[in-house]
Amino acid sequence: MTAPASVGAKSRTLWGDAWRRLRHNKLAIIGLAWIVFVVLMTASAELWVPSTFGDPLAIDTAPGASLQSPSFEHPFGTDKLGRDVFSRVVYGARISLTVGVIAVSISLLIGVLLGAISGYYGGFTDTLVMRSADVFFAFPYILFAIALIAVLGPSYRNVFIAIGILGWPSIARVFRSSILSVKENEYVDAARAMGASDLRIMFRHIMPNAVAPIIVYGTMSIGGAIITEAALSFLGMGVQPPTPSWGLMLSDAKSLMFRAPWLTIWPGFAILTTVLSFVLMGDGLRDALDVKMKD
Amino acid sequence: MSELLEVKNLSTHFTTRDGIVKAVDDVSFSLEPGKTLAVVGESGSGKSVTALSIMRLVAEPAGRIVNGQVLFKGDDVLKMNEAQVRELRGDRIAMIFQDPMTSLNPVFRVGRQIGESLILHKGMTRKEAFERAIELLDMVGIPHSRERAKDYPHQFSGGMRQRAMIAMALACDPDILIADEPTTALDVTIQAQILELMIEMQERTGAAIIMITHDLGVVADMADDVMVMYAGRQVEYGRSDDVFHRPLHPYAWGLLDSLPRHDVDEKGVLVPITGQPPSLINVPSGCAFHPRCPYAREVCRADVPALTDIMDGHLSACHFSADSGFHRSVARPAGEVA
Amino acid sequence: MLKYVFRRVLQMVPVFFGVTLLLFVLRAPGILPGDPVRMITGERAISDALREQIVKKHALDKPLHTQYAIYVSNLLRGDLGESYQRNRPVLDIFAEKFPNTLRLALAAILIEIIIGVSAGIISAVRQYSFSDVFVTLSTSILVSVPVFWLGMLLQILFGIKLKEWTGGAIFLPISQMSSAQFPDWVHIILPAITLASVSTAYVARIMRSQMLEAMGQDYIRTAMAKGLTRNAVTFRHALKNALIPVVTFVGIDFGVMMSGAILTETVFSWPGVGREIFLAVGQRDWPVVMGGVIIIVLLVMIINLLVDLSYAWLDPRIRYGGGAE
Repeated sequence: MTAPASVGAKSRTLWGDAWRRLRHNKLAIIGLAWIVFVVLMTASAELWVPSTFGDPLAIDTAPGASLQSPSFEHPFGTDKLGRDVFSRVVYGARISLTVGVIAVSISLLIGVLLGAISGYYGGFTDTLVMRSADVFFAFPYILFAIALIAVLGPSYRNVFIAIGILGWPSIARVFRSSILSVKENEYVDAARAMGASDLRIMFRHIMPNAVAPIIVYGTMSIGGAIITEAALSFLGMGVQPPTPSWGLMLSDAKSLMFRAPWLTIWPGFAILTTVLSFVLMGDGLRDALDVKMKD
Repeated sequence: MSELLEVKNLSTHFTTRDGIVKAVDDVSFSLEPGKTLAVVGESGSGKSVTALSIMRLVAEPAGRIVNGQVLFKGDDVLKMNEAQVRELRGDRIAMIFQDPMTSLNPVFRVGRQIGESLILHKGMTRKEAFERAIELLDMVGIPHSRERAKDYPHQFSGGMRQRAMIAMALACDPDILIADEPTTALDVTIQAQILELMIEMQERTGAAIIMITHDLGVVADMADDVMVMYAGRQVEYGRSDDVFHRPLHPYAWGLLDSLPRHDVDEKGVLVPITGQPPSLINVPSGCAFHPRCPYAREVCRADVPALTDIMDGHLSACHFSADSGFHRSVARPAGEVA
Repeated sequence: MLKYVFRRVLQMVPVFFGVTLLLFVLRAPGILPGDPVRMITGERAISDALREQIVKKHALDKPLHTQYAIYVSNLLRGDLGESYQRNRPVLDIFAEKFPNTLRLALAAILIEIIIGVSAGIISAVRQYSFSDVFVTLSTSILVSVPVFWLGMLLQILFGIKLKEWTGGAIFLPISQMSSAQFPDWVHIILPAITLASVSTAYVARIMRSQMLEAMGQDYIRTAMAKGLTRNAVTFRHALKNALIPVVTFVGIDFGVMMSGAILTETVFSWPGVGREIFLAVGQRDWPVVMGGVIIIVLLVMIINLLVDLSYAWLDPRIRYGGGAE
């Protein structure tokens, strides 16, 4: 998948071209930069957040400590239990990013596998897998997530299981169709005529081409997963208190909407910017890799 | 004898990321009522763009008619305002395109699409236009025209669709019918039928035809005059008989040699023209054909040959056309150079 | 066309069984961790006698396929079980709240169509202009916004801030379904906008790309060659082609809205099906939760089927299938 580019010559490989195009997409770069920033901030949180702003879990029952509006000490204010909102937002990034990446990884694992089998072997396997996907598609997303959580029990771990399970049909479909279109190409026949085994064909010839839409779709899915986690936590079916999840913070903020608007604004804004970054990156990747996906 | 259409020094350029494409470069010709002009050349030679320029259908802002006059019955189309041009389109000058499947709107019934220009230009009502459309379908030889008019394009076969397109173009009884490669997308057997139909329609309505094609066989049967284009320029222009039997330009020789002809008794050699059609952004210097011309000399690279009248209305753009002895007869694959 | 209808309905059958099977699996004993009795009664402690009763009544001791059969037949008869916490049949609870959700969804669809379609057309016709860039960018943003957060922001903005800034002159009431000062329909504005927001962005996007695609087709050139004005070509020839997939999307979106309403209704305390499910989750009243899920899922399936059929009807290539002679 990596091609040797002679020093100084303009890279003409698929990936080289793509990277060049991506670099020029300002919005995608902004998105990437923001993600990197957030990751760094939250990964290093222990080092600087508690000392400057306060422990996200530290409840302060001193009178006047709760529901402070934003100030120098507490840039995002404090919540009902006196906790510093800024530090909770920073720590909350961990939850969202972790869920996003893990859930999408689960979906990718299942989806790519099933999509590959379905696309490559066709026939009954294909029908079986695609019909199952249809069943999943018949469910509105949020409802299915709620139902799954209802059965599994609300918890942090179950959130990424649920989101992961919900994601496989779309990925399988996308992967399957790119496999199908690549399969048609003659060079697969040529490889087979030369005696290559099924597996080898799949890996060396089909996969690299089919991978591009997956990369795009996966990136955008992370954004979707983050929103879903926030929604589930908002409904009380996701992360449980006192863990700082952005969605959970919004849920707490609901009854205090008018008294303490800062409780609503900042966690939501965090969700918006993070998801937007993934969407912009996904858009940029799609243009760079020149993937034609139906919207 | 008034010319129906006079095109003078028409030039159309396209601005692209890689440079300016001179799709049409200084083209001039004329058309008399009821006559047929064939415009011949390879793809990319500028023949379609010439036709689109006449109707001012060139896609802006990338495409621009940078120079020239298009005199239709004495009035310069290029100087008209948008409304005046729209009046001409479909009414006095009509056009049919290469692929009838994609050129017809899939969500409207055929009868309605045929009637559209009647409603627009002749002020007919929907019903009147529909009835007339049925008559037109009859005229172009489509059976069960009343039922067919209510069908959608995808329910027609390829040949039928092209007939419908012809009916659509002739609806307002135009003075000029421009046909852009009307048979290229059709089966060989259907091609002959469509050409027959066009000849018949021309006799019936008296319309002049501009036939754009890369197929010389088509030209032979139909054309009164022939114009050969290469790299956006005219390289030869004259009466059909002259161009066919006494071609002057080496490119025309190449065309005639590289196509199988059924009207030649001897078994000639099929000689394809070597090389590739030129890029229209980096047109070769001097004579655009010189890189592929077996007779090219230094002057061919240096100077652009002017289109000159070599012999009584037979024009050629080659430095050597006027030289005696620089000719070729049909059966011989190579010419002599003076 | 009739053949197509028949085929599509037939296709729905296995999906129906798949869906019910999946839902059944979720609550059935022994397949997933969890106590099936809990799924029926909720989180309260219950006596052994009651437990026995429930097991018998819901046939929990019978083999799985029998249970599934009972489940499906109940479903088809409209029996979704009972809420033990409220002592009411699940179906009744939802039947009450359903009209509210329907109203909200319809209002949202209306907004979605009007704004989405116009924005899409405008940005396609004036490609690369400010409006085009604006639409493209704002759709990306709207897609990333958590709908429930948007609802809260709108409430803060219109409910309180606007009131503050204009000294009480202008504001939109929130939460309550009716109030003396304002006509009924005013209350639906904010929730409808919230619910419609993401979908409007999608509609605009799809409309735009469909219009661009349509306008690049050959038949547009033909129409121009006939002497039609630019407007006639755009709005008569291109639009009709572009609209078909958009109509399909809106139709399907209706189903999405019915389910997405759960978040919006919660935020605005709008007494609909979605909020009911949310409250039930809070109370761990599982029969209500699952019942609500099933209702919406089946509703969405039916709507999708209708949308598919309408698409077939709208596109003459499918409606009058069959090629040429």
